[in-house]
Amino acid sequence: MTRALFTLNGFRRGARDGVPLAVSIFAYGLGFGLVAAQAGFGVGKAVATSAAIYSGSAQLAAVNLLQTGEATVWALFATILVINARYLLFGAALQPWLWSAGPLRAYGSLLLLGDANWLMTMRAIRAGEEDRAYLAGTGAPIAVGWLSGTALGAAAVSVLPAPQALGFDLMLPCFAAGMMTAMVKAKADLLPVLVGAGVALGIFHLFGPGPAIIGAGLAGAAAAAALHREAP
Amino acid sequence: MTESFPVLLAVMAGAAFLCRMAGFTLMRVVPVSARVEAALRATPLAVMAAITALAMQSGGLAEGLALASVVGLTLLLRNDVAAALLGVVVVAGLRWAGL
Repeated sequence: MTRALFTLNGFRRGARDGVPLAVSIFAYGLGFGLVAAQAGFGVGKAVATSAAIYSGSAQLAAVNLLQTGEATVWALFATILVINARYLLFGAALQPWLWSAGPLRAYGSLLLLGDANWLMTMRAIRAGEEDRAYLAGTGAPIAVGWLSGTALGAAAVSVLPAPQALGFDLMLPCFAAGMMTAMVKAKADLLPVLVGAGVALGIFHLFGPGPAIIGAGLAGAAAAAALHREAP
Repeated sequence: MTESFPVLLAVMAGAAFLCRMAGFTLMRVVPVSARVEAALRATPLAVMAAITALAMQSGGLAEGLALASVVGLTLLLRNDVAAALLGVVVVAGLRWAGL
């Protein structure tokens, strides 16, 4: 099997594209650091949590659970599995493109996978990105932002204004809205958009935000597969 | 709770690791037909639409206007990253104005 492109250039391109998102992830990191500090985590413990789990929503849920003092190993395991189940979908969507880089590079890149750089990478793939190092590149500044934000937040260095005042909490939705608009090139692309939005809102009302994202992704994929016509 | 923090952290890291690797690994045994490829291509669009719709639904007027302006600006500027960053400026401005 010929290995796909995996170069420093591709990594750099990804890193450059990841910087704007890394700024907002830094602000999220500050937020998690503050929450962790209030739960009695020191800087070391907070940063270790951010490095080991590397998922903001899952970490917040875990800290909440730990704070109750009744967290069992299984409850924590199940909480993270449920909140991060969307990563199953993210990994599956990346597989055909990423696998050709070889197992070590592919699995290594997945360690840096997050919501923001998955969206960014899927958009780059659609635009013809061939260099598989792009994914790890987008992940690098985001990882730096996440860990340094956590450290500063946990050290209670809250000299910055609240992330909400700067609009950083809306950064990911803004990127999602922009990339989605740019990626709709044909009428057929509107189908997953409409199905995704509709299913997300429906599931949100019934089960909350976590399952809404997974359900929307699965429903959009199913709709596209069902309506797919082989080229004559 | 009897387990020490390192044990709990290792368990949580294991769960997060499993989610990151499992979908990717499972897809290795699924033959990628044109139909599967269409499904995989549609997935990010559906997830982006879901994130946008959920943010609009949980936000107020400021968030709705900012996200709508991102869609408009992307079409206008033909640059989604610039449009997203401007959307953040829009929501910060609207919140500052008390909307």
